[in-house]
Amino acid sequence: MKRYIIILVVIGALVAGTSLNSCKTAAVISSKSGAQIWGETCIRCHNPADPATFSDLEWDVVAMHMQVRANLTPEETKKVIEFLQSAN
Amino acid sequence: MKKIILSILTVGVLTVQAQDTLSTIDRQALQNYQSLKPGKSKFMLRGYYHTGFENVAEGDESKNQFNFGKIAPILMYKQSDRLFIEAEFEGEFEDGKFQWGIEYANMSFVLNKYMTIRAGKFLLPFGTFMEKLHPAWINRLATRPLGFGHDGIAPTTDVGVELRGAFYSGSVKINYQAYVINGPQLKDGTNEPEEAGMLKFGYFEDNNIDKSVGGRIGVFPFSNGMLELGFSGLTGKVGADGSVYENVRANLYAIDFSLVRNVNFLKSMIDLKGQYNYSQISDANYIVPDDTTGLFYDFNNISNSYYVQLSIRPSMIDNEFLRKLELVGRYSSLQTPEGALWEQNPTQTALGLNYWFDWRTVLKLGYQTTDGLGEHDAPTPITQNMFYIHVAMGF
Repeated sequence: MKRYIIILVVIGALVAGTSLNSCKTAAVISSKSGAQIWGETCIRCHNPADPATFSDLEWDVVAMHMQVRANLTPEETKKVIEFLQSAN
Repeated sequence: MKKIILSILTVGVLTVQAQDTLSTIDRQALQNYQSLKPGKSKFMLRGYYHTGFENVAEGDESKNQFNFGKIAPILMYKQSDRLFIEAEFEGEFEDGKFQWGIEYANMSFVLNKYMTIRAGKFLLPFGTFMEKLHPAWINRLATRPLGFGHDGIAPTTDVGVELRGAFYSGSVKINYQAYVINGPQLKDGTNEPEEAGMLKFGYFEDNNIDKSVGGRIGVFPFSNGMLELGFSGLTGKVGADGSVYENVRANLYAIDFSLVRNVNFLKSMIDLKGQYNYSQISDANYIVPDDTTGLFYDFNNISNSYYVQLSIRPSMIDNEFLRKLELVGRYSSLQTPEGALWEQNPTQTALGLNYWFDWRTVLKLGYQTTDGLGEHDAPTPITQNMFYIHVAMGF
């Protein structure tokens, strides 16, 4: 079983490496605003947070928590932080 | 003329004094600001609490009680843009006394924009319910679906190391988690004979030298991220070293999906989620309880469970009160191995009406009925009906 898993992991790494190397983020994704990402992403698990809930400093911590937990990309995280810090 | 010169001199002196005073205030304000200027390290306390009233009826027995619920403070510490630590504690009543536990505590390090490495005790990304949806202020119902929690078949937490991240390929987002952990442990019947062959999760210490490996891959096929499809797996030895069960392995799989979107003609947001769990443990012989002649029994140790949940919130209608309401329905099922002493095949239907005070505070009214519950020594399956009012708050 372990042999299959190792083979699977190696194939997966190769596929991931190849796709990472060749993948480009589509314009429709890279042009999304922080507000749009906030609206689309938070709601997958919970209601979108009111920007006024936290201070700029607190949003910085919360955003890192969500980057890890919700698998946000660093670009998405940065845009969401900027939106929340500008709207709180 | 003298008066004019004196007046000019007086005004001049007062102006200089005022400027000095102002610049002193400015300097002081600047000093105060600089003394309060935040450093790179940031600490935060978050968490959630829930409590409520429950009426539970099983056969002729009925129980009404206020439920303390659970307080779960979460400590978050951001050391830098790359290093982050978080820990969630759980305080609840168990076996008649208040107990503190630790749900998870781990350290994350952002390696690059595609990879974050995490070490410690973490919620396992086996499907999405346990990792993302179980906290009371997120879970739309006050209970968990069958297959999760006490005597569940889905893994909860474990200690190990995990690599996770996300990236885009065109407009498709892919996220992944791969981990090595101590792994689930087999209950061999020594302490609880009627639970022989079950898995236990969330332990701090390992019972063997073999490490379990697993992961999840999730795909968002649409650019608006409304749909996510996920596949998870976990495999490893679960028997204790030196025991007759040391070669017993477990292979666990899960499929999950999530669809969240606004439906204009309903003026509502719908949230449809589901998860299927499959657990296969290799065959083993277990001692027949209360037998002194050394009899063993075995069974095909395969279990599965699933749930589907739909919630509708009329978030686009004009009436403010109705906008805060949410209707929820969930169906779940659990099938455990035929011939096991913990065999049960319950199904559960749960309905709920929620009122959201704000984005993280909710009042939940719910009713659920569970058919075919088989307590380990119950001669026949039973039906449990439950009515509850709960309030949950994230903070």
